[in-house]
Amino acid sequence: MIDPAYSPQAASGIWVFLEQDGNVLAPVSLELLGKARELSRQSGAELTGLLAGHNLDELAGRAASLDLDRVVYVSHPLLERFTAEAYAHATAEVILQQRPDIFLLGATPYGRDLAGRLAVMLRTGLTADCTDLALDPESGLLLGEVSGFGGGILATIKCEQHRPQMATVRPGVFAEVQSQRDTAAPVEKVEADVPASACPVAVVSRRQHAGVDVSRAERLVIAGAGVRGDMGTVEALARALDAEIGATRVAVDEGWAGREQQIGQTGVIARPKLAVVCGASGATQFTVGIEQAGLVIALNQDPEASIFEQADLCVVDDLFPVVRALVAEFESHNGGAK
Amino acid sequence: MTALVDRPATAANVILLDDDRWDRVLAATHGEAAACYQCGTCTATCPWGLVAGPSIGVRSVIREAQLGIDGWAEAVWRCTTCGACEARCPHQVPIGEVMLGLRGLAWRERTAPGELSSVLWDMHWDGNPWGRPPSTRSAWAAGLDIPRFDPGIHTTLLYIGCTASYDRRAQKVARAVVGLMRAGGVPFGTLGDDEPCCGDPARSLGNDAYFERIAAANAAQFKVAGVTDIVTVSPHCYDTFSSHYGAAGDQFQVRHYSQLARDLIAEGKLTFSGLEATSATFHDPCYLARHHDETEAPRAMLAAIPGLELAEMERSRSETLCCGGGGGRMWMETPADERFATARAREAAATGAAYLVTTCPHCISCLEDGVSVAGARDLKVIDLAELAMLAGCVSAPTTSPEASHD
Amino acid sequence: MTGELHMLVCLKVVPKSEEVGVDRATNTLDRGNARSEINPPDMNALEAALALKDRYGGRVSLLSMGPPFVVPMLRVGLAMGADAAYLLSDRAFGGADTLATSLTLASAIRKIGDIDLVLCGEESSDGATAQVPPGIAAWLGIPQVTYAMDIELERGHILVTREIRGGEEVLDAPLPAVVSVKVSCNQPRFMDVEGMAGLDRDGTVTTWTAADLDVDVNHIGLAGSPTSVAGLREALQTVGRRREVVTGTPEQEAHILYERISEFVRSSSPRTQETST
Ligand SMILES: Cc1cc2nc3c(=O)[nH]c(=O)nc-3n(C[C@H](O)[C@H](O)[C@H](O)COP(=O)(O)OP(=O)(O)OC[C@H]3O[C@@H](n4cnc5c(N)ncnc54)[C@H](O)[C@@H]3O)c2cc1C
Ligand code: SF4
Ligand code: SF4
Repeated sequence: MIDPAYSPQAASGIWVFLEQDGNVLAPVSLELLGKARELSRQSGAELTGLLAGHNLDELAGRAASLDLDRVVYVSHPLLERFTAEAYAHATAEVILQQRPDIFLLGATPYGRDLAGRLAVMLRTGLTADCTDLALDPESGLLLGEVSGFGGGILATIKCEQHRPQMATVRPGVFAEVQSQRDTAAPVEKVEADVPASACPVAVVSRRQHAGVDVSRAERLVIAGAGVRGDMGTVEALARALDAEIGATRVAVDEGWAGREQQIGQTGVIARPKLAVVCGASGATQFTVGIEQAGLVIALNQDPEASIFEQADLCVVDDLFPVVRALVAEFESHNGGAK
Repeated sequence: MTALVDRPATAANVILLDDDRWDRVLAATHGEAAACYQCGTCTATCPWGLVAGPSIGVRSVIREAQLGIDGWAEAVWRCTTCGACEARCPHQVPIGEVMLGLRGLAWRERTAPGELSSVLWDMHWDGNPWGRPPSTRSAWAAGLDIPRFDPGIHTTLLYIGCTASYDRRAQKVARAVVGLMRAGGVPFGTLGDDEPCCGDPARSLGNDAYFERIAAANAAQFKVAGVTDIVTVSPHCYDTFSSHYGAAGDQFQVRHYSQLARDLIAEGKLTFSGLEATSATFHDPCYLARHHDETEAPRAMLAAIPGLELAEMERSRSETLCCGGGGGRMWMETPADERFATARAREAAATGAAYLVTTCPHCISCLEDGVSVAGARDLKVIDLAELAMLAGCVSAPTTSPEASHD
Repeated sequence: MTGELHMLVCLKVVPKSEEVGVDRATNTLDRGNARSEINPPDMNALEAALALKDRYGGRVSLLSMGPPFVVPMLRVGLAMGADAAYLLSDRAFGGADTLATSLTLASAIRKIGDIDLVLCGEESSDGATAQVPPGIAAWLGIPQVTYAMDIELERGHILVTREIRGGEEVLDAPLPAVVSVKVSCNQPRFMDVEGMAGLDRDGTVTTWTAADLDVDVNHIGLAGSPTSVAGLREALQTVGRRREVVTGTPEQEAHILYERISEFVRSSSPRTQETST
């Protein structure tokens, strides 16, 4: 076994990495704080938020009013833009000084990037992409639930000897922290020592997408012939779900969607986590395109439609009223925020 | 699009001729490209002319391939290998094979369309071009209790093929063929989940090297299994086994199921109780009618169904109009206004028949699509085997009890 | 970068997801007769390497850790156009978590030597941790770029377009570096016509055991893994679709859908504002 950087006896406290971008905290960090607070109540451990960046004093102040006990803010001009190398260098330094017992990050691209590198630098174990967290009632060890094989297998992972116990957590599995503190928690600002050599990667440019191509979309609303050209309804649902729009060949032939949106054998093989299929009959040339999707929901008024053989949730009904009600439900929960 | 327009070979082209290139084209087409005399008869015959304006300019494709001019490849991938042109070529150029040979050249030169690689990978990892798990290959047969082929008990291997195994629509055809064979008292079995892909998608996408590997492996598997007589659901598998397995193919006899049914009818082992007076038109699959001169077996079946009247389309038998699904076109997109099947559906609708009957899973997919694009709502696309079952296909009283049931 | 570009692609052989279950008696993974494949994003990584080779020349080596049955899979990579293949196969490597795995791979990369660019798939379909590529980079002490969509080479540097929350960014990294490649970002080419002949050829894959690597046996495999599995279970359903029928008025149906969908939607994050440097 590789020697741990510090022993379990020397470790204390639960830390959450407060991922930020453009002076805004990532939703997953708020979700993690909520869960971490629950764990800290169980164990009595102190809850620390770790913020890294540059010129973030104002954000650190805002973070201090969240439900946590302390904010550690690591600052350096080279942390202005996220790069795994510089962030890992700076956070490893404070972690080795302050020795948290548990260190949680969001399983976002940045969070995974940082965690993978950091875990090796700290010579500790990392449970990646957890869908649940708990403390073992006896040992007090962190138990991370992870899924493998396309979600078919669930495993619980622990890290006995090495510290910190690191885990990245899938966004969206926990509710965001709601409670606020009356008085701000203390903010400890650490001026990191990041040599330019620790920062070999430069961000040349960044841009926001209007949308991603359907082959990589995480959520898809798919229009079949049954939508009868009413793409407004489909678009409203896509907006509510923050999804991209795909189409069957018939819908593409009709000109309701572009050729690049066609799902299926002669279109795109999609791998979304969620696919809502509206008014498609389920021809094999189409369904091979959603074979690798996570949850498939099918709406079709024909109970015999073969799309139902390929769906997890089957709604045998006229799609329009159901989709409209679903959009309304999302809007009411979001308070019309979108 | 320009690549589809037939351009006469100009003097300038001729000067460009590069010997090395010409040698590669010749090698890729097994020398067949040399026979072309650039008369242009083929171009006038190609069904692309019906739908897309310019037809495939076979002679210019060959010419441009010879000359190494960019753009020939696009037209090469459009060919459905329907064989309509070949039938007219005064120099007997096997045009479909030349097209496949040129595709092979494109694979070698890595200019084959990237998305077609995924079809070959699906065949490699999953053993079928649809990328479905082999463990569900025989799911189409649920409840039918089809025995595993055993040469000690069964005369015939029923080979289902990938499309009829996995495509939900075509699965019904496979089930109907089983009904037909049981009614005819043929002792048969299948290879279950171990049935391999015949290799047609690799061949028809022009990857002959990969096809050869598949064919060799399958021939060995069939030999071990003791297969000597194969009946196929699809004309494409029939063609592949009977014409492209080389010497290895001599170890077994291959028939399309319509040919088996014709024989059973002739021997008095299969009869039909009949349909309430109705009419059908028959779409000849290219891979029976043109590649194997088989136009009578399906018609013998239709003729044996009491109450069914056959209304032929003008383009029928060896003049049939391709559905658009051959030559690997099932894995390539065709814009809605360029699909042969739409034209075909209109021709079928014009006969006034109630059924558009065919006997190939690819034809079924394409024609159902064509019927819906053409808006021919009263026309029902049906496979010959399905129609036979509808017509109450029964074993004739003289037949011995079927062996395949137990 | 010295001389020609030398790329190394890490390939993991994984059982097909649909064919793996949990053995209820022993509560261990039942890979039984599960068929294997090359982890799909690793195929994209290999295609990215071969495309770079097509464009800039150079050499592509393959590296995998796994049992001997991985050899034919590496031959598939060779048939696609890779130049050399290495398999790390030893019981001592078994049971490794990401720390031990990335150390083992990094040790082999050191041994192969002169590697300019290490390419991996973004994550594996069985573990889905996405932590091995950053781990390799950390062990080797070289930069990492993850979730790459496109890679270009410029004067000894790589320009990588990578996916981030709600958009993409272009990173400039010096070589050597580790790049993990996004699944479906390219179309893996099929095996070369000539290459396929090599599928049946022995001796094309170099196999190394733990003794061949300069690594402490206590730092690899199960022994070198700080994490361990505390429990295992099968999720609701692993094979096929659930086909659960939702009934009621349209509003009731919508409500049921809402309950089931909202977790997928919460995971989406508001798109970041456009920024440029
Ligand atoms: C070579 C080839 C390649 C092909 N490639 C592809 C491909 O890549 N992708 C693809 O999608 N297709 C492809 N197809 C076409 C495919 O075979 C089907 O024709 C197509 O997928 C059907 O599209 P659809 O389900 O939208 O239309 P339809 O089959 O017409 O189904 C429409 C469905 O909507 C339902 N419906 C109607 N109104 C409502 C309502 N108000 N509420 C609820 N339900 C309603 C109906 O019950 C029906 O089931 C291909 C075909 C061929 C021949
Ligand atoms: S009909 Fe035959 S000879 Fe004439 S151009 Fe076509 S292929 Fe050549
Ligand atoms: S085989 Fe058919 S599609 Fe191909 S060129 Fe000849 S007529 Fe045209």
